Amino acid sequence: MSPNKRVALSRRNLIKGGLLLGTVAAIGIMPIKVLKAEETVKENTTAKTKKQIGFSYDEGKCIKCESCVRICQETYQWESDTPWRRLLKNDKGNALSMSCNHCADPACAKVCPVKAYSKRDSDGIVIHDASKCVGCGYCLYACPYHAPHIQKKTGAVSKCHFCYNLQDTGSGPRCVGVCPTKALTMGDMKELSQKGNLDYKGLPSSKITNPSMIIIPKA
Amino acid sequence: MGHWGWLIAIYLFLGGLGAGAYLASFAAEKGLLGKKTNLDRVGYVVSAPIVAFGAFLLIFDLGQGLKKPWLIINMFLNFSSVMTWGIYILSAFICVAFIKAFFVWKKRQAPAVISYLGAILALATAAYTGMLLAVVEGIPFWNSYLMPVVFVVSALSTGLSLTSLIAHFFEKHQVHEVRVSQIHLGLVATEIVALAAFFALIYSGSQGTIAKISANMLLTESLSIPFWLLLIIIGLVGPLAFYLLQARSNKKALLTSNDQNSALNSERGGIVSLLCDGAVLVGGLTLRCLIIFAALPVWNGILS
Ligand code: SF4
Ligand code: SF4
Repeated sequence: MSPNKRVALSRRNLIKGGLLLGTVAAIGIMPIKVLKAEETVKENTTAKTKKQIGFSYDEGKCIKCESCVRICQETYQWESDTPWRRLLKNDKGNALSMSCNHCADPACAKVCPVKAYSKRDSDGIVIHDASKCVGCGYCLYACPYHAPHIQKKTGAVSKCHFCYNLQDTGSGPRCVGVCPTKALTMGDMKELSQKGNLDYKGLPSSKITNPSMIIIPKA
Repeated sequence: MGHWGWLIAIYLFLGGLGAGAYLASFAAEKGLLGKKTNLDRVGYVVSAPIVAFGAFLLIFDLGQGLKKPWLIINMFLNFSSVMTWGIYILSAFICVAFIKAFFVWKKRQAPAVISYLGAILALATAAYTGMLLAVVEGIPFWNSYLMPVVFVVSALSTGLSLTSLIAHFFEKHQVHEVRVSQIHLGLVATEIVALAAFFALIYSGSQGTIAKISANMLLTESLSIPFWLLLIIIGLVGPLAFYLLQARSNKKALLTSNDQNSALNSERGGIVSLLCDGAVLVGGLTLRCLIIFAALPVWNGILS
């Protein structure tokens, strides 16, 4: 075999190799994506909790007093730049009081490596256990609603837990209780989802995590 | 929003680099990098320490885990988390690569099952560094199945470069196999194609407008200088041109088979080749940093 031929041959092999590599990489990755999609579909149909409660926010009734935010901070003492609940406002006069949405498909729980998140089967509340959290920050990227924050003092995530402890003793969450106009309420998602959703004013598509929160825009 | 920065970028880079180095030596050992090769050892030796060092760096990016390190052990718990998969893959790879390196060090033949297992885990490690980002739906720019493809090809390329560099300085017998340049040419070309496809997919709109804004940051806005200079020109196009020329001149040298001439060529080619390997590494690190820094959340947290 002449040297020239050898080189030409190996170059052809090289191109073939490159193509092969590309295809293998593409094919190798595809099933993961497909797998993932299947997983989500399965979750949507089977892994639903027995019941799912959620928030409802009636924009027309809200007087923007921020009582909901204040009572939450007073009760749980979160640092001001890592809020559990916020009153979002724009300059067109729109508002939205929002916390963690206790999603039906919580992205936070899916990515957290230490299983700090758990979703209660009895009511669908997503609770974060700060004592387990290593503070890797993965959930901060995964949650589309900016609900989890890492507290500076502890280095652990904290977020709204729907006052599950109060709910277990028969009373409601503080924010809902304090709202003077009943703009912020709670209910069973079976009924709430008949009345609306959370796809509003630039918010991320509710298809990502299936949030348990609806907004009733003002007329 | 998250707080990932340099440490994560370096971690992703080192994960791919160590895995790629292992695969470079594996390929050399299997005869894929030419008959006479000096790349069949050093990649194995450096792979586990590099990946282990990367994982170690990651600990400093933790919040509470840094103060209470015993919590880290729980990171093996959640099988639906890609980060947990990564912890398994990395741990397994570090162990197997250390065993393989031990055999190489002792100049003994490692059992084939160890070498192959290591190679599979190396591929998994490289793919994981991309998967970690690709599954995050909250960051549309990352949420692309081409993300792991780009990272795997870049891992192979940087790994081969690092192995060549270290072999140049630490191996006694020096060989310059045309085959290595050819393979590297293929890798760099594939990476350019994969990266182009990655951006094409984003500009096709399939990942929404936020992903496009991230891509704009790289192509034309705040991050465009490192993108074009460090990643595209230094890290990809430069090496592409060099490997292309080398594949050609080697062909010529073979044709004329003028020994003196080709020795001279290979001397000069040797130095440029080292620079080129360095450039590939710079490009690889830049790629990881840019991808991390260009992350924008699917929603910016304000009402429009
Ligand atoms: S809003 Fe975010 S933190 Fe709350 S359950 Fe949904 S994904 Fe998790
Ligand atoms: S920051 Fe804490 S809660 Fe969030 S993913 Fe990491 S360990 Fe889990």
